[in-house]
Amino acid sequence: MLRYLAKRGITYVFMIFLTTSAGYFLAVSSLKPALLEQERIPRPTPEQVANSMRLKGLDPDLSPWERYVEWLTAIVTRWDWGRSPNGAYINAEFGDRVWISTRLFLASIILTLVIGVALGVYSAARQYKFQDRAITSYSYLAYIVPAPIAYFLVQLGAININETVGERIFFVTGISTPGIEPGWAQFVDMLAHYAVPTVAITLVGWGSYQIAQRQYLLDNVNADFVRTARAKGLTRNQAISRHALRVSFIPVAQSIAFTIPAIFAGGFFAEKIFAWPGVGSWSIDAISLQDVNAATATLAYGSVIFALGAILADFATTLVDPRVRVQ
Amino acid sequence: MSSEIAAGHAEQPQSTVERLHVAGLHAPTDAVLSVRDLNVRFNTENGVVHAVRGVDFDLLPGKTLGIVGESGSGKSVTSLAIMGLLPSTAEISGSVRLKGKELLGLSDKAMCEYRGNELAMVFQDPLSSLTPVYTVGTQIVEALTIHNPTMSRQAKEARAVELLAMVGIPSPKDRLKAFPHEFSGGMRQRVMIAIAIANNPRVLIADEPTTALDVTIQAQVLEVLHTAQEETGAAVVMITHDLGVVAGMADDIMVMYAGKPVETGAVDDIYYNPRMPYTMGLLGAVPRVDVAEKSSLVPIEGMPPNLIHTPTGCSFAPRCPLATDACLDGEPVLAAVPGSALHRAACIKSGSLGSDVDVHDVFSAPPVAVSRFDAIPRAERSTVLQLKDVRKHFPLTKGALLKRRIGTVKAVDGVSFDIREGECFSIVGESGSGKTTTLLEIMEFHKDQDGEVTIGGISNKQAADARTKSAMRREMQMVFQDPTGALDPRFTVYEVLAEPLQNAGMDKQAIRTRIMELMKLVGLQPDHVNRFPNQFSGGQRQRVGIARALAVNPKLVVLDEPVSALDVSVQAGVINLLDKLRAELGLSYLLVAHDLSVVRHISNRVAVMYLGKIVEIGEVDRVFDNPRHPYTRALLSAIPVPDPQVEKTRERIILRGDLPSPLDAPKGCNFATRCPVFAALPPAKQEKCLTLEPPLEPVAPSAAAQALAAQPLPALDQRFACFFPDGELDEDMLVVHESSDHHAP
Repeated sequence: MLRYLAKRGITYVFMIFLTTSAGYFLAVSSLKPALLEQERIPRPTPEQVANSMRLKGLDPDLSPWERYVEWLTAIVTRWDWGRSPNGAYINAEFGDRVWISTRLFLASIILTLVIGVALGVYSAARQYKFQDRAITSYSYLAYIVPAPIAYFLVQLGAININETVGERIFFVTGISTPGIEPGWAQFVDMLAHYAVPTVAITLVGWGSYQIAQRQYLLDNVNADFVRTARAKGLTRNQAISRHALRVSFIPVAQSIAFTIPAIFAGGFFAEKIFAWPGVGSWSIDAISLQDVNAATATLAYGSVIFALGAILADFATTLVDPRVRVQ
Repeated sequence: MSSEIAAGHAEQPQSTVERLHVAGLHAPTDAVLSVRDLNVRFNTENGVVHAVRGVDFDLLPGKTLGIVGESGSGKSVTSLAIMGLLPSTAEISGSVRLKGKELLGLSDKAMCEYRGNELAMVFQDPLSSLTPVYTVGTQIVEALTIHNPTMSRQAKEARAVELLAMVGIPSPKDRLKAFPHEFSGGMRQRVMIAIAIANNPRVLIADEPTTALDVTIQAQVLEVLHTAQEETGAAVVMITHDLGVVAGMADDIMVMYAGKPVETGAVDDIYYNPRMPYTMGLLGAVPRVDVAEKSSLVPIEGMPPNLIHTPTGCSFAPRCPLATDACLDGEPVLAAVPGSALHRAACIKSGSLGSDVDVHDVFSAPPVAVSRFDAIPRAERSTVLQLKDVRKHFPLTKGALLKRRIGTVKAVDGVSFDIREGECFSIVGESGSGKTTTLLEIMEFHKDQDGEVTIGGISNKQAADARTKSAMRREMQMVFQDPTGALDPRFTVYEVLAEPLQNAGMDKQAIRTRIMELMKLVGLQPDHVNRFPNQFSGGQRQRVGIARALAVNPKLVVLDEPVSALDVSVQAGVINLLDKLRAELGLSYLLVAHDLSVVRHISNRVAVMYLGKIVEIGEVDRVFDNPRHPYTRALLSAIPVPDPQVEKTRERIILRGDLPSPLDAPKGCNFATRCPVFAALPPAKQEKCLTLEPPLEPVAPSAAAQALAAQPLPALDQRFACFFPDGELDEDMLVVHESSDHHAP
């Protein structure tokens, strides 16, 4: 197991290095932060711009290769991912943003998985009955509707509730109210901010898990081994829950394992619409703000998350399926 | 007292004496399972399918009932209805009583008390019948837990070990922790049997338990079932399409057709004195492995009826050669055959049929086809295919980036044989013996192959360019195992047959004429050329496959399990067709088949393969009547014969274990690990088997024959690879079933 992990780890470190380096070259040759600086009022002289960039380690006069070597040396020797054109340190901002993304998505993804898998099992057990048709139709709808529209709808709903009650119960944007005293009041404030995005992301998210779990379970409900289990003296429902469920969970577990690390990577639309400045919105902003270091850092981070997901998926499979052995 | 199939219909004409006799011996309280007027209907999109129509039987403790029928005859549905495992959409009526308690109409929950406890079942496909994610031990223990909630964990584990040992799984204690995928098919079926007998059931239903297994493994599993029955004293319902499998096991037989029992009786009555044309046809349709005399098989024309429409007359009448108008007037009831109260047949002519009626006359079996080559001695006929020392080794590697070779799988290891004009040559062996790889190597026909393949005088070593290859393809064509998979579903039969002809560069008119010719040749109606494959039955599809192979007039046809996917009655028709074509067109066949009865029926010469090597080769009658290699002997003794007397008295060699992985092939004789002769040899002689590889040597004519002849006799056409062909067999591997537990009729 350890050997396997080491082997996979080395492969992924190599791949992450390649993607990140390629990303850096792409960013450094196409993003020109100096141009944005020149649009300031009063307009700074080119010398001033170049000077300020040089101070932040973003010297536009150096060749891409020289900048790459400088950037890489800083990471390898000091674990310093550089600075943004506005002077912020990537390392510091990164920690904040990952934490924000995590807080935004953690609860909703757990809810998504639990509700999705549970509804999948429930609807598979009642195939073609009213409950199954209602749940599965909803899931397909959630699949089709673009996420931003669904988020807006939930926001509108929350605003509606606020208006009906005549008091602001839910906050539809933002992380917390500034200046609130710690304690109970802060906790209530947090819940009020947390509820809308969590509900919105969950409502949109569970559909795919419900559809997958329902399908995989239905594939196994009439399997020969379920018949064997019934022939032993289990009722149909017992046989399904003890035998078919475990087998049908194998592919679902794999996709779940892949999803979990994605919690930390955040999502662009949700973060923008609910105004939680996490990693997802940062990565897009970095491009519009011509921020070479931030863009590359988020890319590297995405690769790490992907690699972790792949390894976790392998582990999840070996955990639930004895036929697969890690070598 | 040999039968427990008792009166089903009160209105049956029976003498008072007979009725009393039956009533006295078969008081309903005796029967552990009684089924009365069982009917099963399924609602489908096309209408109501009446899958089982009035099945009656009584099963006495410790007895075995064989239910025989083709696919779609309702035998499996009957068993699932008894177990209460049919989908809830099925409408079931009638009565199923287990020890006097009615089972039909019980809820799923109430049935659970009986299922797996007093009523157990073994299913057909052992590969998919065990849950892949639980250990074998867990699955056996589960069966114990359900019905014995108070049993302690140690006791359950001990019982599981005992069960595994009973079904013959080596080192059962360690194997409890193994997962199903770590077992071979035969081993998994043993586990299934262990689960079924865990709670000492009164009734054990086995639904085609050996159909998916090799013959040697089939013999092992049947033996285990036999042991299981002896240990538990359970009554067994054995469901099969193979009349050979039940001949030795069953006390009674019920033959089903179109959802209805058409003949029931003691096993000897059914096999030696069938009174229903369908039973007679089934018996005549199976080739016998123990009979050398060649007679054509009995084909039953047509297809079983569609069970959506209620039959107005005898359901077999459309296929029955004896049918008259009277047969179409109402469905005949299952009536006692004159002279025997327990033997019943659903045929208005059962009185005039019997043991003295030859089935070949009834079904007008075609005469045995004689090829013009049969009269010419083999040595004078030209060779159409020759293999010289063909090898196919697969390297087994480990590691992802740097591959290390850790071994070699010798799938085919030095195979040589030749096929002459007008001859059928067969390769037999268990799965994994290298039969199919040999075929693939012939089809590959590449000059870099290890060994020489010569087809119609063209060698793969000469110049295997595209033109030689296409010349070779015209000499040799192939017919595949699964006729459904081998035909493009979007091609009409015309397009299927035209394709090879277009490749050969024929013009449109000639193609049309040739296709009509081919359709007639294989016994299909020429006006069906515009149909798609799914509009044909399995047998007809295989005929299309044969027509396609014959389109370019090949000399040699390679047949890869051509009839194994077909029902018995349909199979007979295809075998007869192959026989006829060989004679009429002077074809040669290379046949690969696992069914040795079919091989014996159709072949002239045969090769027995074991782990990539030919262990015995020669003229089919010589090899089958006088097998020299212990493996051939074991293989032949494992094949069940549809003859109860023969089955009950003959001795069987039960090989231990499965075919070893070709990776662990021993240095000396490949077969030593399973060989019954080797096991009985003194260690000094065993050494020879383990270190030296036995060469393929001809059988010498017997000393007596040598002495009588004036000049030295030519060597016989039989060669085998064994040092001690006359060695004694290990007694542990020999099984003879005493007929004492069966009563003479």
